[in-house]
Amino acid sequence: MGKEAIADKTVVATLGFCNSGMNSNIGAIDVKDGRAVRIRPLHYDERYTEEELNAWQLEARGSVFKPGMKSFLPPLSLAYKNRTYSKNRVPYPLKRVDFDPHGERNPQNRGTSKYVRISWDEALSIAAEEIKRVHDTYGPMSILVQADGHGETKAYHGQHGVMVELFQWTGDALIQTRNADSWEGWYWGAKHMWGMEPVGQNIWQTNVIQDVAKNSDAVLYWGADPETTPWGWGGQQASRICYWFNELGIKSIWIAPDVNYANAVHADKWIPVYPNTDAALQLAIAYVWLTEGLYDKDYIASHAVGFDWFEYYVLGNEDGVPKTPEWAAEKCGVPDYTIKALARYWAKHNVSIAHCNGGSYIRSCFAHEPARLEIALLGMQALGHPGRNFFKFIEWSLWSMKGLSPLPCSEVFPTTEGAYHGRNRADLPPNGTFIPKTLIPQGIATEADNPLKWFGHTLSGAPMQDQLFEYEFPVDDNPGVRMIWSDSPCWTTCWNGGHEMEEAFCMDKVEFILVQHPWMENDTTFADIILPVSTKLECEDIGTDTLNGQWGILCHEEQAVDPYVECISDWEACLGVAEKLQEYGGIYKKLVKKMTQGLDMEQTLERGFKMSRCTDEDLTWDDLKEQQFWMSPTMEGWQDEPAGMIEFYEDPDNHPLSTPTGKLEYYSTTLAKVFPDDTERAPVPKWVDETEDHKERLTSERAKDYPFLLVSNHPRWRVHANCDDIPWLREIPTCKITGPDGYGYEPVWINTEDAAELGIKTGDIVKLFNERGGVLGGAYVTERIYRHTVYQDHGARVDPIVKGRQGLDRGGANNTIAPQATTSKNCAGEVTSGYLVGVEKVDVFELAEQYPEAFSKPYDEAFGLTADRYIIEEA
Amino acid sequence: MKVFAIDINRCNGCYNCQLACKDEHCDQPWPPYSAAEPLIGQFWLKMEERERGQVPVVRVSYIPTIGAQDEAIRDYAPEVLMPREDGIIVLDPEKCQGRKDLAEKFPGVYYNEELDLAQGCTGCAHLLDNGWTVPRCVDACATDALLFGDEEDFDLTGATKLTEGSHVYYFNYPKRFIAGLVFDPCRREVVIGAPVDLVSGDEVVATQLTDDFGDFRFDQIDAGAYRVVIRAEGYGEKVIEVDVSEEDRYIGDVALDQ
Repeated sequence: MGKEAIADKTVVATLGFCNSGMNSNIGAIDVKDGRAVRIRPLHYDERYTEEELNAWQLEARGSVFKPGMKSFLPPLSLAYKNRTYSKNRVPYPLKRVDFDPHGERNPQNRGTSKYVRISWDEALSIAAEEIKRVHDTYGPMSILVQADGHGETKAYHGQHGVMVELFQWTGDALIQTRNADSWEGWYWGAKHMWGMEPVGQNIWQTNVIQDVAKNSDAVLYWGADPETTPWGWGGQQASRICYWFNELGIKSIWIAPDVNYANAVHADKWIPVYPNTDAALQLAIAYVWLTEGLYDKDYIASHAVGFDWFEYYVLGNEDGVPKTPEWAAEKCGVPDYTIKALARYWAKHNVSIAHCNGGSYIRSCFAHEPARLEIALLGMQALGHPGRNFFKFIEWSLWSMKGLSPLPCSEVFPTTEGAYHGRNRADLPPNGTFIPKTLIPQGIATEADNPLKWFGHTLSGAPMQDQLFEYEFPVDDNPGVRMIWSDSPCWTTCWNGGHEMEEAFCMDKVEFILVQHPWMENDTTFADIILPVSTKLECEDIGTDTLNGQWGILCHEEQAVDPYVECISDWEACLGVAEKLQEYGGIYKKLVKKMTQGLDMEQTLERGFKMSRCTDEDLTWDDLKEQQFWMSPTMEGWQDEPAGMIEFYEDPDNHPLSTPTGKLEYYSTTLAKVFPDDTERAPVPKWVDETEDHKERLTSERAKDYPFLLVSNHPRWRVHANCDDIPWLREIPTCKITGPDGYGYEPVWINTEDAAELGIKTGDIVKLFNERGGVLGGAYVTERIYRHTVYQDHGARVDPIVKGRQGLDRGGANNTIAPQATTSKNCAGEVTSGYLVGVEKVDVFELAEQYPEAFSKPYDEAFGLTADRYIIEEA
Repeated sequence: MKVFAIDINRCNGCYNCQLACKDEHCDQPWPPYSAAEPLIGQFWLKMEERERGQVPVVRVSYIPTIGAQDEAIRDYAPEVLMPREDGIIVLDPEKCQGRKDLAEKFPGVYYNEELDLAQGCTGCAHLLDNGWTVPRCVDACATDALLFGDEEDFDLTGATKLTEGSHVYYFNYPKRFIAGLVFDPCRREVVIGAPVDLVSGDEVVATQLTDDFGDFRFDQIDAGAYRVVIRAEGYGEKVIEVDVSEEDRYIGDVALDQ
């Protein structure tokens, strides 16, 4: 047996899921007989030595931490070939069987009706004809482009948003703007306290890992899961750092309702808290510090403004309610004595806070309050002092910002922008040409006489000032949304109120829905025409891995395998539509040439290489193709970069924050001026119990009917909606629970005592429900979740039993029952965790009798839902 | 002889080992070493998860198990093994036809009904014989929890084996813990620095002082029955019987009497 027996060739590919021109998770793919046979870590030392890479090294307390000489792939990337070979792939262009563009369109049957095979020519012709018709009849702003979000990360072949490059030559289109979905609280809250553009998280993180290792006594992992959330966009370096902190004896304290996957293996202490009640805990900590004199008054005097307003509120002078530990204990479920112990420990030690985004801490109603209160607490303990920082285990060097990397940076972070096809992230479209992603169902339903209004673009890259402006849709008698084109069809399972979205998709006024996607999942099944798209392994492209916490990497991604059946890439599909549109002449004339600038793929990729920031002047495009990847060495002098916020700590006047005053604003001067009457996001951060829109507390009247708070984290075994069909993941006990009917249900964690009261045991099938509908799940009875709280990851594939409001979903896509109302009245963020649900046991066989059609769809025991459930086989 | 050395304290439960094994073998035969493993259902490397403790002291121990690397198989059926000098157990697919007995007898050996043969971990011998130095599971491990090499190159002092003939050694194999929190119910304060004795029979086997949170935790103790004795100055002695024969215990927030 020779080497050729285990692989014919090896290619490299970046297998991360950021899909915003930034990528991670570079791996080696071995191909044999035309098939991807293995995906494995890329060993950097096959090409480079540590010396050549100027490898960094952190030292603390007699221990050394190095970057590592292979990529630390997460399981999602390692098992990725199953996505390419999934039985849920869309094989060829499809038309909904009861959709006739020249006759009855039957929009009410979207999500229900099946599809028939059509040719590429017919599919592209219908798409072009519909675009032309909508343009002529209603105008360009009647085409809603859903073109954002996480997924496979490609460059030439298209990030999400490729069709924006088509419409920019034809009068633009109505853009779905992506809200700051994993950063909601920081974006809408923390920015008003400490600036930190663009998302409200610390942008002065350089050398924080080194600082924590040397100087911190404890790290508070507040709602953070470094063993899960970084997987999609960085791999497993975060895990190695957590182990290092454990080894160094840094006390690791988790504050969350659940024993998340990092807590499970790294915690020295877990402080369980009810979902979205962190604000009460934080206020009580402030109360202890204020009443016992345990905070840095000098620091506050020189680094903060408006502290007396905050003090006034915390001590109860404003509302007659002192925010004591006893007051907080009832709300947050943390005993008063533990709150006091935590407050005093924190005041006596160097404590940093770590985050990974998401979850109930930052994606629930009023999320701006815990985010602001966290900064308030950090400020009271002299934020920026050695060992006292805010840092992240994720998104290192996002947007190539060195300040977002707490680890030493490379000389450059390479980019694929020269070959990139997709939406320009920096765009802030004018009023009337966009709808925030959180408001899409309402945006579709709204009419010109009653426009929808909101504040800000909600885009993660938008500056704080953008939140102060009101926008609306539609404007100027625009007839509203008449067509939708999506290349990221996952709204129903990833955003706020999926059951409402199902109804919006089925509205008469939406005359045409075009979806391009590799898989028959989620919103794909609401399309009129589906274009089959190839996966990463089926494309040649240029790629980068810049979020790994090791080095910046540029690579040429050779095509690993042939495309599946009739699949082509997102960009190629978009060009196909453009080619058909050209036939209409006029504004569509020479559309393909305008889009490609006359360059073919090879020329575009080469341009990408030339614009990649590669610093090796001797390296040519052909060289890169030959050697497959290039690594940027660690920058010289990284040791001299400031450690976290030390400069602000030492000299706030010369290193001011980007708030209007340059200081920590305990009383937000901006909010006081622009939103003086907002009681949900007041100038001083507060505890907000309930509002008209949100009654999501265990003490709310609604809790009598829906007595549990749902924790819905970024999923462990998916990246949002990605990877739900990977058979080997589905075999993992925390990924799916096989029901008595053989269906893989999404696990629902229920505390042992709650389960006993409900008469539920592991393996039972349960329904989570509220006024908005229900989802099923497989009970997982556990001590990993606090009482009165249940946990189910978001992003499971939608599998409707009953679609629309009050609907029922078998797949466990719990975003379908998330509140449609946004973060608070002036903040259009999403609320997709920390809301009330009821829990009851169901009999799936009874349900199957009640809904025979829904329960008799084709189903594969390995992949789960398969594409053939929606495809009518040819005779 | 080649062995696996696994540190439970560095296993984060990512399942990369189990997945890489499947990536290598599912639907992919590597003749003459192995026939294809079915897409799902077999676990040549199987991750065992143990949830331990009760709110609020809960942890999960992940234990990668590789059942087929065991001398017991050689003892029982030497005729089914491929001859190798490195000691790796490789079930020869040619010779394992119809050998259901192997799957019934040895955890980690599975019976492939479709192909009518017994199969299991080969240590990725087909890769080792073609330039690889470690099997897929070890290559995919991000935290160095799984190591592979010659037995004499590891210091295996104190390591645990699940069976006598196993080629898999564990460090920090989980035992039991007893944890608790001590507080004063009148003052509503945790009690810091309270001495806590762990008593087995008549013997004090360990003593700790409660920390800044009033917490104590006795880790890696043997399964069995214990007494926890809390003697904080100014409070009455508190004695709690705790049985951790079956499971780890968080004994609760213990209220001390004045």
